[in-house]
Amino acid sequence: MKKKNTEKDGSFLSSFKNVFSFFFLLGRKSKKTKVFYILSFIPVIMALIVKFGQVFASRSSLTGIYVFSNFIMTFYLQFIILILALFFGTSVCSEELEGRTLPYLTTRPVSKASFILGKYAAYTLLIVAMTVVGVILCFFILNFDQLGDLSLYKILFRDTAVLVLGLVCYTSLFTFIGTFIKRSIMFGLIFSFGWENVIQYFPGSTQRFAIVHYLKSMLPSPSSGRFSFLLFRLEPTPPFLAVIILILITAAFLGLACAVFNFKEYILEE
Amino acid sequence: MKAVIMTEKLSKWYGNILGLSDVTLDIEAGITGLLGPNGAGKSTFLKLVTGQIKANIGSVRINGEEVRNNHRLFSKIGFCPESDSFYEEMTGWEFVTGLLKLHGLSSSEREKKALKALGIVDLEKNKDRRIKTYSRGMRQRLKFAQAIAHEPEILILDEPLNGLDPLGRRKLIRLIKSLRDEGKTVIVSSHVLPEIEAMTNDIILIHQGKIFAQGDIHYIRDLIDAHPHMISVKCSDPRKVASRFIKEDFILNIDFSSEKDTFVVKTNNRDEFFSRLPRIFIEENIDVKEITSPDDNLQAVFDYLIGE
Amino acid sequence: MPIKEKGYTHWEGELKKSRYPWIPITRKGIKLAFKKKFFKFTFFLTLIPAIVYLAGIYISERLEDFAFLVENSKSVSFLKINPGYFNSYFTQDFLLFMIVVVLVFCGAGLISDDLRYNSLQLYFSRPITKKDYFLGKASVIAFFLFILTLIPGIIFMLMKIIFSGNLRFISDYPWLILSVIGYSFFITGFFAFYTLFVSSVNKNRRYVSILMFGIFIFSDILYGIFKGIFESEYFSLLSIKANIKQVGAAFFGQKLPHNVPWIYSFLVLLFICALAGFVLNKKVRGVEVAQ
Repeated sequence: MKKKNTEKDGSFLSSFKNVFSFFFLLGRKSKKTKVFYILSFIPVIMALIVKFGQVFASRSSLTGIYVFSNFIMTFYLQFIILILALFFGTSVCSEELEGRTLPYLTTRPVSKASFILGKYAAYTLLIVAMTVVGVILCFFILNFDQLGDLSLYKILFRDTAVLVLGLVCYTSLFTFIGTFIKRSIMFGLIFSFGWENVIQYFPGSTQRFAIVHYLKSMLPSPSSGRFSFLLFRLEPTPPFLAVIILILITAAFLGLACAVFNFKEYILEE
Repeated sequence: MKAVIMTEKLSKWYGNILGLSDVTLDIEAGITGLLGPNGAGKSTFLKLVTGQIKANIGSVRINGEEVRNNHRLFSKIGFCPESDSFYEEMTGWEFVTGLLKLHGLSSSEREKKALKALGIVDLEKNKDRRIKTYSRGMRQRLKFAQAIAHEPEILILDEPLNGLDPLGRRKLIRLIKSLRDEGKTVIVSSHVLPEIEAMTNDIILIHQGKIFAQGDIHYIRDLIDAHPHMISVKCSDPRKVASRFIKEDFILNIDFSSEKDTFVVKTNNRDEFFSRLPRIFIEENIDVKEITSPDDNLQAVFDYLIGE
Repeated sequence: MPIKEKGYTHWEGELKKSRYPWIPITRKGIKLAFKKKFFKFTFFLTLIPAIVYLAGIYISERLEDFAFLVENSKSVSFLKINPGYFNSYFTQDFLLFMIVVVLVFCGAGLISDDLRYNSLQLYFSRPITKKDYFLGKASVIAFFLFILTLIPGIIFMLMKIIFSGNLRFISDYPWLILSVIGYSFFITGFFAFYTLFVSSVNKNRRYVSILMFGIFIFSDILYGIFKGIFESEYFSLLSIKANIKQVGAAFFGQKLPHNVPWIYSFLVLLFICALAGFVLNKKVRGVEVAQ
């Protein structure tokens, strides 16, 4: 019986599941998660303001879906998913180092890879839930007078899928950075709001060095309109290829994060 | 008896700083006290034994298996870290059951074991409070609970008595002794000699990253006792008291130079000196103000043992 | 037998009050910032615009030597050294972005680290007041921001005079030095309040860093979205960056970038400072020094 138990302890999947549920609970209870929940609901409040403005003040002739698409592009794609992925991705490792709680985990019968992947999965699920709930609410608020139009749901599904892919990919990158660099947040901020923003305005293949390029490739590029400058000079990658590349990037960064965490020695600050 | 933990030529340095040097040890079942002043290398040794850091030279084996990156081994090990760190938002119950989950135990097993561990450390009543509301002593006990909850064969405790009140300290010492009686292997580190003395006779003395004495505590005690002790006595008539000791063989030196109402005695038999002193005070009707032992600390013993 | 007292020794000497008790706090903060990896590199990067603008002043005096560079009239107008030139340096996007980066480096931990390590008690068990504490911390920010604003501004003016060999620039714009000083102090004051406020919000420096950056970027996105939908320039009041640009343009007597009275922007920034001051006063509590 005892032997059977030990075998069960060692299996990667069961370790992964156990780490996942431990950190999913921890993440849900954390005060910071609650603050980020509020942050991810700001677009919902804005959607309400916009809709009230449109309905009662007749201030704008823009359609609900047009405003929704631009919410996705400006708020979610270029801000919220970056902030969420950056904080929760770097938290996978940095949180344990800063809080000096790492010894509780590294002295358990779970492999280091299952720890990284389990915690990554738990935190990614948390932020995906935060984002998706906000996006769906925004969609319904902004399009509440056109909810019978089924084609709009296709847009909702596509945009949500792009955001989820973005979260999965960015979080893997920041998880890797968190295991590798001590000052991961600084690097992450410069990458997110410097590199990712600047590089997409470059022509040719240069923009393919940004994750946001592949995400935007899956969204239609408006040729004109007020927000078109956001997609300036986008030379899109075919959507299917973009998905494959994002999945590969995610796998590569998670693999690297596991390898670094396995071999790197973390000296906790006293 | 077969060694449970074996280290061979274990060395670790952090940049230019030497953490541990050439440590070869065999640790058997029972309690082993790791004694040394702050910064001696105790925590480094325990981190190496638990595979948290890797040795620059040498190896650590537990039950014949390499420790580093051998996560299966940790179902048999319980570790109580020195630092006062927790997942503060969790309750004590969630903390212990959550960590038990990482051992792959079923829900009912987890609850049973967590309840037992929290009961042992007297935290069952406070188990549903958030850790951030716990007192220092409660936190220390919770740390101990998570280390014993999965009923490991080997317990590694880094300064487990820190922050506990005398009562809690005594209780924990009794508990650690009961674990020894169950046949477990326990390594306890401390910089306080009486703490270790209360738990075990088997000690390892560590200083400046090196092990320079290992074995029975009585041997160390003898070494300490053979080392001349300085005792300072402040009283109403120091010369009268000193005159009663002057002829004794165990008195090596008496000095009156420090303060007017004080004499400092140097003796190689501290116990004998202290057994006679009260009688003299009573017989001579002396008013005692203060008795202190300026070098009665671990560092002084170490200095003596390493010949400084 | 009396029990030996193990309590504090009561010092009977005279307490001499230092005139500037906040200086050690500032010194320590500056030293700590420079100890951080990549900070020197980042700070140097932030100085690049100043170097470029300085080169611009040099070129403006030797236009004939650089004729191949300034063939079109647009470049020449850019190289006219006037208050607009100063305004474009002080309110450019890159500089503002890099200021926030520098602040994350040197300012995120200023109070949050003290909260994390419970060191507020240590500060206030010494003869310093809350005011000294804030002044010491704010001076760390002032040190770095003056290097990026006040000092380049004064150097630009000096170099213009030196390169031109006369004082015409001063006589043309006698008030410019006051604008440089006024704007530098204003922006430094604002960012000092902003940084200390965010730093006091949480014990976790990573969280504070994200918040510091996030608020700055988010406020601008908010403005972009609302302006796009409602087509009203008044939404620029939601953006920290837009407000700074408005106030900058007012200081240097330039055309306002947004069609909103600059005083509104000024008041918005002042309101943020007041709010920050209020929160800081509430958050930073230690054992008050008994005098």
